[in-house]
Amino acid sequence: MRVLVVEDEPRLAANIARGLRENAGYAVDVAGDGEQGLFLADEGSGYDLIVLDLMLPRLGGLEVLRRHRAQGRRTPVLVLSARDEKESVVELLNAGADDYVAKPFDLGEFLARAKALIRRGKGQSSPVLRAGDLEVNTVERRVRRGGRDITLAPMEYRVLEYLAHRPRAVISKTELLEHLYDYNWEKFSNVIEVYISGLRRKLDDPFPDKLIHTLRGQGYVLRPPENRAGAAK
Amino acid sequence: MRRSLTLRLVAIVVLSQLLLAAGLVWAGIIFTRGQLRRAFDSELRGRMMSVAALVRYPESSGAPLLFDASLLPPARSRRHPAFYQVRSRNGAIVASSFPGDVTLPAPSGEGQRLWHFTYNGVAYRGIVATDLPVLDTEEPPPMPQQRLTVYYAAPPFDMDEEVAAAGFAIGGTSLVLLGLAALFTGMAVRRELDPLRELARQAAGISPHNWDFSPGPRTAATTELIPLIQALNLMLERLHHSYQQQRDFMADAAHHLKTPVAILKSSLQSLLQRPRDAAEYESSAQASLLDVERLEQLLQRMLRLARIEQAADDDRPRRAPEVELEANCQAAIERVGPLARSRQVEVRSSGEFSRVSADGDDLELVWLNLLENAVQHSPPGATIELHGEVHGGEREIAIRDAGSGITAEDLPHVFDRFRRGQDSRVPGFGLGLAIARSIVRAYGGNIAIESAPGAGTTVRVRLPAAGA
Repeated sequence: MRVLVVEDEPRLAANIARGLRENAGYAVDVAGDGEQGLFLADEGSGYDLIVLDLMLPRLGGLEVLRRHRAQGRRTPVLVLSARDEKESVVELLNAGADDYVAKPFDLGEFLARAKALIRRGKGQSSPVLRAGDLEVNTVERRVRRGGRDITLAPMEYRVLEYLAHRPRAVISKTELLEHLYDYNWEKFSNVIEVYISGLRRKLDDPFPDKLIHTLRGQGYVLRPPENRAGAAK
Repeated sequence: MRRSLTLRLVAIVVLSQLLLAAGLVWAGIIFTRGQLRRAFDSELRGRMMSVAALVRYPESSGAPLLFDASLLPPARSRRHPAFYQVRSRNGAIVASSFPGDVTLPAPSGEGQRLWHFTYNGVAYRGIVATDLPVLDTEEPPPMPQQRLTVYYAAPPFDMDEEVAAAGFAIGGTSLVLLGLAALFTGMAVRRELDPLRELARQAAGISPHNWDFSPGPRTAATTELIPLIQALNLMLERLHHSYQQQRDFMADAAHHLKTPVAILKSSLQSLLQRPRDAAEYESSAQASLLDVERLEQLLQRMLRLARIEQAADDDRPRRAPEVELEANCQAAIERVGPLARSRQVEVRSSGEFSRVSADGDDLELVWLNLLENAVQHSPPGATIELHGEVHGGEREIAIRDAGSGITAEDLPHVFDRFRRGQDSRVPGFGLGLAIARSIVRAYGGNIAIESAPGAGTTVRVRLPAAGA
């Protein structure tokens, strides 16, 4: 997952980024003002979540939100607000915010809300993502298959978590790269293949049913076996 | 002790009416008594004349004058008889009913005279007339024309009763009217005090949530209440203004304290997310310490601004020592020196300086804040000029920089507290200009800013000269 933090206080931005990276394993980009924030938010395939402060130089948070939504973007937006008056909350939600936390916030609560927003943005409601007999617990960042715990490297987990948020959807290598790495990081397309093969070895090799499939020239898909998935439900 | 305006007004009216009634009774008694006395006197005179008319000439010239007592007018009172005495010119008593122990006054030369005496404890009023003719019409008189002296006395006995009755009538009527007047006055006063009660109701309705004070048209048009209403309005306006200011300040302060607190809290929470090595803990502790210091700085500046704004709100002129402007500005230039050198900016002073009345530390803070702003918005290699001028009773200090300037959109708001420029790289809380303005205003001066993007910024501070 890749998160954009639009926050002009560098210390606060750094703390939020650290929390998101360490606790959730997300890639984080930071924008120091509203203009830069809007530019980054509108660019490319986008972020899985935008964390937006309201008091921003150059372009206010509310305006960033309005303009971003005017582009037809559906990225979940979590607003950081120092105000907690009712009207401004209403105004925020009406402008297209998905949730907000009032400063000074609890980092744990903030991270939980961030995860929930990402989840819901991808059509999932439970923090435990399931595909067939695979279980991805996004809170504890633990993976189980067939009742067995599976230990993954951090990057492998991030790839799997991204895939598991949208099972059966075809996800391109580019999308994976864009959503798993910070803005400034160099992107080597073959790293994804390395992680996918690692995942296959740990997840699929011990089991008869394969979950991770490669669609040549299109990308990857996490797909539980058709007949058993139906039976399992 | 409670004092009722209504009761006092009614008491005043009753008292003045009582005085009026007493006067009326007194005047009534005097008048009635006078009238009665005149009536009594004329009756007395009439009776005396009728007594005189009872005297006849005798048949023969040598005989004494005759008096026919059977034709005497009846006495006014049976218990207190009237007395009469008729004397001839030579002093011979023709007829008399006066008791022997009543001394009659000597008749005066001519005409009539009234006198008083007491008989058997009863006050009598008498009249004496001399030189009265004998009114015998028989012709010819048997002797030369006789002249008579006649005394007549009667008790003006029921006169006092009548006077008293008149007094009682007037007094009683007055008292009844007085009671009615008191009642009416009480009601009228209560009614006329309605606007006062409405005012009280209005005033009681005022609270931090309701500053509306608008008395009805009847109250607002009451001459005596207009000064009170004006005073209340003025007071409310001041209170409201001051309350609003305090509230805005509180809201602003709370708002702007949230971010530094959020930084600290998130720092510590993210630090505790997982075990870390000693170096990481130490660097985090150092960073948090810096955050706390910044928070402390923010608090100090906010409190300073609050104190200055409060002082500026005081209408009382501030008593302050005289300050040499040049030395004061120079001190600020020295203090901004390290920052200026680190940004390769030069600060120069020029012009004419004089003295102003102000607290030296306060004033130095003004120049320091303005110079810091100028330095932070200047490109490396730039020069900032602090220029002093003397304009009559005013001293002007202008601080000119060749920095990035301020957009027309932002210019009207630069003095607002917590207002920060668009360049987020410039550190600060947005309090410097607000503090500077509050200090300048507190000393009766004014501060103005001229700027355009790319054309630099000039801040002019004008202060009244010392002793002005």
